[in-house]
Amino acid sequence: METKDINVCVLRIEGTNNEQEIYDSFKRLGANPSFVHLNEFKSLENFQCLMIPGGFSSGDYIRAGAIFASRIRSRFWDDIKDFVRDGYAIGGICNGFQVLVELGLLPGFSRSIGKVNACLAENDSARFECRHTVLKHVGPNKCVFTRALPENEVLVIPSAHAEGKLLLADDKLYERMEKNGQIVFRYCDRSGRTDCGYPWNPNGSPQNIAGICNEKGNVFGMMPHPERAFYKENANGHSGKVIFESVINYIGERF
Amino acid sequence: MPDIFEIDLNVSEERLKGISEETGTGLSLDELKVIRDYFVKEGRNPKDIELQALGQAWSEHCCYKSSKYYLKRYLFNFDAPQNLFVIKEDAGLVEFDKDHAYAVALESHNHPSAIEPYGGAATGIGGILRDVVCMGAQPIALVDPIFFAPPTTSSELIPKGVKHPKYIFSGVVDGIRDYGNRVGIPTVSGMTAFHKGYLGNCLVNVGCVGIVKKKDIVYSRVGNVGDIYVLAGGGTGRDGIHGVTFASKELDDDSQVSSRSAVQVGDPIMKEPLIHACLEANEKKLLTGLKDLGGGGLSCVVGEMALAGGYGAKVTLENVHLKEKDLLPWEIWVSESQERMMMSVREKDLNKVLKIFRKWDVPAVVIGKVIQEKRLLIEWHGETIFDMDLEFLTEGPMYKRPFKKVSTRNENVEFGEPEDYNGTLLSLLKDYNCACDDWVVRQYDFEVRARTFSPPLVGMENCETHADASIIKPLEDSERGLALTSDVNPHFMVLDPFWGAASAVDEAVRNLVAVGARPHSFADCLNFGNPEKPEKMWEFVQAVQGLAHVISKIGATFVSGNVSLYNEGPAGACPPTPTIMGIGLIDDVNKSVTTPFKGNGNLIYIIGNTKDELGGSAYLRYRGIAGGIVPRVNPYELSNASFSLIELMGKGMVISCHDISEGGICCTLAEMCIGNEIGAAITLKGKLRPDKELFSESNTRWICEIDPNDRAEFEDGLRAHQVAFTILGATGGDRLRMAKDGKMLVDIEVKSMKEAWQRPLWDIMG
Repeated sequence: METKDINVCVLRIEGTNNEQEIYDSFKRLGANPSFVHLNEFKSLENFQCLMIPGGFSSGDYIRAGAIFASRIRSRFWDDIKDFVRDGYAIGGICNGFQVLVELGLLPGFSRSIGKVNACLAENDSARFECRHTVLKHVGPNKCVFTRALPENEVLVIPSAHAEGKLLLADDKLYERMEKNGQIVFRYCDRSGRTDCGYPWNPNGSPQNIAGICNEKGNVFGMMPHPERAFYKENANGHSGKVIFESVINYIGERF
Repeated sequence: MPDIFEIDLNVSEERLKGISEETGTGLSLDELKVIRDYFVKEGRNPKDIELQALGQAWSEHCCYKSSKYYLKRYLFNFDAPQNLFVIKEDAGLVEFDKDHAYAVALESHNHPSAIEPYGGAATGIGGILRDVVCMGAQPIALVDPIFFAPPTTSSELIPKGVKHPKYIFSGVVDGIRDYGNRVGIPTVSGMTAFHKGYLGNCLVNVGCVGIVKKKDIVYSRVGNVGDIYVLAGGGTGRDGIHGVTFASKELDDDSQVSSRSAVQVGDPIMKEPLIHACLEANEKKLLTGLKDLGGGGLSCVVGEMALAGGYGAKVTLENVHLKEKDLLPWEIWVSESQERMMMSVREKDLNKVLKIFRKWDVPAVVIGKVIQEKRLLIEWHGETIFDMDLEFLTEGPMYKRPFKKVSTRNENVEFGEPEDYNGTLLSLLKDYNCACDDWVVRQYDFEVRARTFSPPLVGMENCETHADASIIKPLEDSERGLALTSDVNPHFMVLDPFWGAASAVDEAVRNLVAVGARPHSFADCLNFGNPEKPEKMWEFVQAVQGLAHVISKIGATFVSGNVSLYNEGPAGACPPTPTIMGIGLIDDVNKSVTTPFKGNGNLIYIIGNTKDELGGSAYLRYRGIAGGIVPRVNPYELSNASFSLIELMGKGMVISCHDISEGGICCTLAEMCIGNEIGAAITLKGKLRPDKELFSESNTRWICEIDPNDRAEFEDGLRAHQVAFTILGATGGDRLRMAKDGKMLVDIEVKSMKEAWQRPLWDIMG
């Protein structure tokens, strides 16, 4: 399908607050995003992409993303499962990533969709941190949100969160994700080394994981904010824009 | 006890004072007599709710009774062509481009933060956001200047009823972080200053800038007779009762307990959708007026909106939605509960407005309507409990308070030259007032909304140094930007309130110019002591004149501001602190300039004159020497140099730039080296003794990095405007080297400076 016909649902409730920049990112590339408040949500029928923006949905007073996730689950869980099965794209950034994990869509092993087996835990520094992080694209181009970014490319993308440490229910799941090619971004230093520790890895995430996708590759979440680095070109010519280009390109080819 | 009772004012003077105290209204004897005369003419006694409303409306906080005479006389006489609507409302409006304006507001939340740092600081943000939203503007940036006693203050020095500055500092930052981040507006600028005078009187100032299409500007006044008052947002509760009267007197050792209920409780997750809903209703042209509920709560907003529109109001008080039952009518009327906005709406649009608020899950209720007569009437379950002339109620008294000069130690002092310059530099870099403030800045989301073109920390990742000003690019399809800074040096202020205030404006201008922006508007938050004390009033009047001295010549004026008096507690008064927020306009953000050195072999220039002005400097403080001459300001030189530098930056000729402030040339160069880990070698050429030249904090100076190929053109540009400049040396290597008359003074690794500069706040605050 043509880019201008790609409908992107940017879902919002009270406390989501990165929706404008996600909207702008798709708009700049010629797609057709729209804001949908959960209270006015009817169905995903006419959308090819669902984006859960960052922020502090419902204040995140219980656990990051937990309230938003349970409200989504009670409203249109079946709709979402069909959406994933049919190969449409779902992306979550920062709080959106936390929501996707709380929904059990990430890590999203194909046999256990909806099973919550991970969480984004409090940063090792026990505080909110806003800093520019460097990410290395480590995925084998399975993820539909990074297919335009060659493997091993490095990008500077800002991070701003208090809960970004990806913990899995079982250590074996890290290996499984690795084997499945579900680890998309790792934190690294300016030279691309991923064994660099804090503050390059701002939250203490095991194996420096910054972003992951589901087994199928069409659900993607990351803690750093590519929409904030849309124009910030790195030496390799890439910027945060590549995330949005990738998914538009995928939807255009696939549907 | 009945809901409502009458108060007899025809009593002895002694009894009148007792009434002021028992009702907590803070009204003076003279004010109560004026009120008594009014009610004699009305032929009745006031009800408690009426006296409470007067206490709010006539408080220092609401009516500026001690300050407005001097502000009008000295500060409000200037205008600038870009000003659209200034001083009169909660935020000033200034032209951004043909179709847009920006809104500016700056306030204090000092007293609440001293009592309850977390809640006080958080609700300060809540209040300033509403001030911007009520002009119809989308908030785009927050600015947080905060002032504390040093976090290392010994516990033995803390008087009864005062919280430790480390606790207050930490709580204030937590409050700003948890509210600002949740509500999704970037906190991009601010300053953290330490002075022992803030013990027991921390200052928490907060500023906000918003952007609005000119056609969507809305004012804080009702439209027409018959318009409906709609109250939207959070419920009204017992939090924040007597906030303004408590802010209009000194704190004492009992305030921690007795005034706890004056601090409000913030709820950013009510605020965030409230902002969306108000702006949506406004953009659809459904509102005739919009105003926030801040100090004084309903008692201030209803009357002020009606009177500004030339009408009166009739309120049905029981319609107000509450957080808890059984609030007394006067409590509902004066409560300062957070997250509330008042709209006036034409009757035919009412349902459309209520529908928008339902979508956002924000409560909105009808509480009254606009009437022809300029009176305020309140009904409580069918009974009229309030009936007063609006002009009398909201006008408030005005005082021309006497002042008395304070002797200050503002003359030259003698001291010897230090032996160890490296050690001196490292000690200054570790001074909390000079050291890296990223312990604070990184807790704030300074990039949410993705409109922060240049953040408060600039340089290589995890190596960043201080920016002079942050730059916001507010619009999707325009490269125009707003630069934001906030400045004041309390150490100057204590020595000399006139030149200290003038220096604050100079520093704000310098910071804007350093990033390539032309000064476009200013806001001031004037934090001073008890105006009833002539010495404190003198500080205020001096400072206002100092501000006027500079502002009169730079083509931009104060467009908004706030006066916070009575900043006194058990440990004395706070240093006089006129916080200046500067807003600069830059036509193309891509031409902006940042602090850190960018390359090797570039020329390093100093712009401006270095003088023997070390009073209040970080260097003399480190040396333990009191007194000295506080830097002066020549506004013509400031204006010329600014204009010239901005022009050269527009031509892309300045690679990096940093203003010279605390720690003088020496600390400025260190910060420029740190951001990209590039060293420098310079030779001082001035006539002053080396330590004075290195550490003087003279105003109107910058350091610039210039490509050697641009040398002639750069120098010609400066000469054309009679701007003084000197080549100091060149960039390069991994050390900072400074020499004078063939003697090496400083020779130190950039990495060592970085370590010294970056650690202090992390080490003490954890």
